[in-house]
Amino acid sequence: MSRHTGLQREVLSLYRSCLRAVYRKPIDSRTHFKSFVAREFRKHATEVDRKDFDTVEFLLRKGKRQLEVYGDPNIKRMTTAAG
Amino acid sequence: MASLRQPTLRLLASSNIRRVASPTIFNTTRSLATLAEGEVAQKKQPLIKKFSIYRWSPDEPTKKPQMQEYSLDLNECGPMVLDALIKIKNEMDPTLTFRRSCREGICGSCAMNIEGTNTLACLSRINRDASSTSRIYPLPHMYVVKDLVPDLTNFYKQYKSIQPYLQSKEPAPNGKEFLQSKEDRKKLDGLYECILCACCSTSCPSYWWNQEEYLGPAVLMQAYRWLADSRDGKSGQRKDMLDNSMSLYRCHTIMNCARTCPKGLNPGLAIAKIKMMMVQSA
Amino acid sequence: MASTLRSSAAARRIFAAAKPTTSAIRLLPQTRVAAFHASQRNQILPPGPQVVHGTVNDPVPVPTPSASHGSYHWAFERIIALGMIPLTVAPFAAGTANPALDAALGTALVLHSHIGFDACVTDYFPKRQYAKTRALMVWLLRASTITAAVGLFSIQTNDVGLTEAIKRFWRA
Repeated sequence: MSRHTGLQREVLSLYRSCLRAVYRKPIDSRTHFKSFVAREFRKHATEVDRKDFDTVEFLLRKGKRQLEVYGDPNIKRMTTAAG
Repeated sequence: MASLRQPTLRLLASSNIRRVASPTIFNTTRSLATLAEGEVAQKKQPLIKKFSIYRWSPDEPTKKPQMQEYSLDLNECGPMVLDALIKIKNEMDPTLTFRRSCREGICGSCAMNIEGTNTLACLSRINRDASSTSRIYPLPHMYVVKDLVPDLTNFYKQYKSIQPYLQSKEPAPNGKEFLQSKEDRKKLDGLYECILCACCSTSCPSYWWNQEEYLGPAVLMQAYRWLADSRDGKSGQRKDMLDNSMSLYRCHTIMNCARTCPKGLNPGLAIAKIKMMMVQSA
Repeated sequence: MASTLRSSAAARRIFAAAKPTTSAIRLLPQTRVAAFHASQRNQILPPGPQVVHGTVNDPVPVPTPSASHGSYHWAFERIIALGMIPLTVAPFAAGTANPALDAALGTALVLHSHIGFDACVTDYFPKRQYAKTRALMVWLLRASTITAAVGLFSIQTNDVGLTEAIKRFWRA
């Protein structure tokens, strides 16, 4: 048996594919992408109850959409207001 | 009401220009004008109607969806539910979110579940019985983007998968356009009018259960629209695309689609015709 | 739907944690906010997560054509359903039970109910969400169909036959 539930595994796989997308970015803008990804995941990990499945599923869908946008190879730079 | 008020405004505007120098006279003019209008307004008692609207915001994902109640005077509002929604958004709560565009039932943006029926807000009249609350939800069994806005990504992806465009093997015979007889054109009546508002698909229990694999009435009716087109040359491939257990045959002729369609079309009949076509070609 | 309550306990926890109503709502005296589901709600089968394949602009994948699951299956289903009408009426109209007709009715009955229940399993236990339950249900259905077929066969061969059995049961 796996230590993680199906939903947890999905979150982890999204995190991994986000990081993979980050490592396809130009080297000088990688830190921005990486800090954005880390911050999003960290924020929701603390704010959202892990048994609140509906919210986790919603955030997963949102995360996939966001990844679709910034994972595009034409997007080279990212700056966020929070720095 | 707006039309009633317009002459007064015009009167006010004109008097304003003429009597800028004497504010006292201007005031008496206005009171006379509003008195005449007031007689009309006094006859109409305010008709307060309650609207209970589904609210959910993606900015606070941990907060559960709620029903929020708004009270409106129907005498101050247009006749359709969309008018009420726009009035609420303009005057009471700018955070209320819904899609709308044409306000005349041709764009299909304002599809929502009004008092238990999937319909277009711009085509459904407000029930003037003030004792009952009008309940407004987003389209059922769709992911909600915000408030009354459903996520139609999957619906459009399905529409794309049926290749909704004319595909011909050879170019047009006269080099310009594909001509069609009147009889062939008649076959498309009742099909081409569909505005893809997704009211029918989201009213179909089979679509609720198997949304990812079953195409749903709206998309299948468009599939039939291209199968029935005399100019289309790829009906063989089109039929092959539907020839599996999920895409087409999850339709159990429940007919909620025909009942709810705000344009009065019959997707259920179109699906039955596809099924007959599939048998005849097999 | 995106967000539905799963249990009242979770709801209470969330409502306790949630901030007071947003400023826009607080400013408006004409509006009232009610919880979407205030009562206890037990979900037997919570909706599984939806999987969107590909990007937003990709069409959904088209399954490989298979007439035996599509058009042939549908035609076969209709033929059996229509064929059962005369098979049901005939023995009672004729007044006597014919073993061949009986056998045909028994076979059609088993096939018809198998196809019908199979459609229910396909509808209610989608493979993508409940793969194990689906497999279990499919095998359960097959076992039941075989049991029913064996039962009807034994009535046919060792006993009085299907129509005669129904007749006696009706009069008993």
